[in-house]
Amino acid sequence: MRIDETTWEIPASARQDMRVPARIFADSEILDEIVGDLSLEQLQNVATLPGVVGAAIAMPDIHQGYGFPVGGVAATALPDGVISPGGVGYDINCGVRLLALPLTEPELGDRREALVHEISRSVPAGAGKSGGLRLRGKSLDDVLRDGPRTLDGVRADDIEYTESEGRLEGADPKAVSERARLRGQDQLGTMGSGNHFVEVQAVEELLDPETAGVFGLAKGQVAVLIHSGSRGLGHQVCTDFVRLMDSRLTGYRIHLPDRQLACAPASSPEGRQYLGAMAAAANFAWANRQAIGDGVRRAIASVLGKDAAVGTRQVYDVAHNVAKVEVHGGSRVCVHRKGATRAFPAGSEEIPAAYRGVGQPVFIPGSMGTASFVLAGEPGAMERAFGTTCHGAGRRLSRTAARKRVQGSELRRELEAKGIVVRCLSPKGLAEEAPLAYKDVDRVVRVVEQAGLARRVVRLVPIGVVKG
Amino acid sequence: MAYRFVEHTAELEVELESDSAEGILEEALRAFAELAGPAAGELVERPVDLAASDPPALLAAWLDELLFLADAERLVPESAEVSVSGSRVTGVIRARRGDPRPLVKAVTFHRLRFGPRDGVWRGRVVLDV
Repeated sequence: MRIDETTWEIPASARQDMRVPARIFADSEILDEIVGDLSLEQLQNVATLPGVVGAAIAMPDIHQGYGFPVGGVAATALPDGVISPGGVGYDINCGVRLLALPLTEPELGDRREALVHEISRSVPAGAGKSGGLRLRGKSLDDVLRDGPRTLDGVRADDIEYTESEGRLEGADPKAVSERARLRGQDQLGTMGSGNHFVEVQAVEELLDPETAGVFGLAKGQVAVLIHSGSRGLGHQVCTDFVRLMDSRLTGYRIHLPDRQLACAPASSPEGRQYLGAMAAAANFAWANRQAIGDGVRRAIASVLGKDAAVGTRQVYDVAHNVAKVEVHGGSRVCVHRKGATRAFPAGSEEIPAAYRGVGQPVFIPGSMGTASFVLAGEPGAMERAFGTTCHGAGRRLSRTAARKRVQGSELRRELEAKGIVVRCLSPKGLAEEAPLAYKDVDRVVRVVEQAGLARRVVRLVPIGVVKG
Repeated sequence: MAYRFVEHTAELEVELESDSAEGILEEALRAFAELAGPAAGELVERPVDLAASDPPALLAAWLDELLFLADAERLVPESAEVSVSGSRVTGVIRARRGDPRPLVKAVTFHRLRFGPRDGVWRGRVVLDV
């Protein structure tokens, strides 16, 4: 059922087990793509969760996932509504950090290739010989409890310009299993694989020059976008709690249409333990992006000089896989954002003072080789989507289908022909992330703007890509 | 005996077929090894003893174990000798040291299947990548 130009709803009456409607933000073309996979069925499954309120919401970058669709939002009433680890995802606090360099693309000039190369050396994909920081015992506990502020040499402004200042309250290192610690202890500062990347970009267009100025972004400016998460540590936390909650469903008399939606009341021992472990993993992810950002600054110092590294400013860092306790409509709810980004509007005390007059920055990476966007949160996000907007372009083709249509080596040549420097360990991985595998990011952000969730501020284009 | 990757918009879905429960786990190991990439280092053995709430959860636990060895010990599995009894597997995993591609993040419970049908064992699992 179409509600308005960019809003569609499936009523709760569509299925006996739905407790709330399913709401989709999309235009006609995007909706046609969405119905091509299991996204909407998965969204309706989310609408069956005990304690879910308002609507199960899909952003225009929605695509089929497991349990929750990617690009999904669900809020559950506290204290007894459920928390679902699958509603956060395995990559807890996967997110995006944007650094702005103190120079323009013409000023970078022919040092671009050296910069991309040096970033690829400073930011490893995995924990191999040249892997990440090694954390043990107390230092790992410190990161889990307090996030990036515990790392050596961290700049105060980096912490200030991070969502929740890089620390979720209630983090409980004791709730993180030994297995999760072993997986993550050597991975801090590593990017991972799949759709994770570090991209060097240039600001192509100022769509809202005043807000861009507040965010410290000017036309032609060089920026670095970092996309990574909590690595093996977060993946294991989710694994542990999906398994635990799956085994306790009968005890809580919870019946689910998909086992991956395993959940428990947020007030239950399992729920509280998960929230503590998830917050710890989220803090680890912010520390990971901090360590990656530090690696990028080292690369900048090496290629462009120390002053350029010191002058590289963090615009913001946002999570797009997380559950947070927030107040919406006067009630405390647990907002699950799975492939969706918090987008608080101007006036919110949750965003840095310098941005409070314009709204929270949101970063929307496009597919490799296409544009990315900086958005700003709008009041409509609070009114219609629990303070949330989209998180990316959204996949439309499977990895296999992408590989059938394009070869990694061919794609590399195409990107290089556009002047984009590419550093990627795996040609297969490159093909899997080809632009044709994703929706049109320009269309996705136009929908969230039209829906009043966030407004476009800056359009960036890539000039270098580093992939795991 | 076979494994194959099937279409999934964002993740990797694997279908497995064998004449035994043990064969399904061995096929799952081969599929995982393909994703982790080659390794040429020292061959090591790791004992395994896993129990789960039901057979499908055991398939997930088995792949979780392979993922843990790749992440925590940088081991790429090569073969296994295992015995399955209900929802428990015991035996040994042989793996080589290397630099596994960190593609697979986790093993999900979405569309998870593991059991016999018409005399053939079948398994299905969706991997988060």
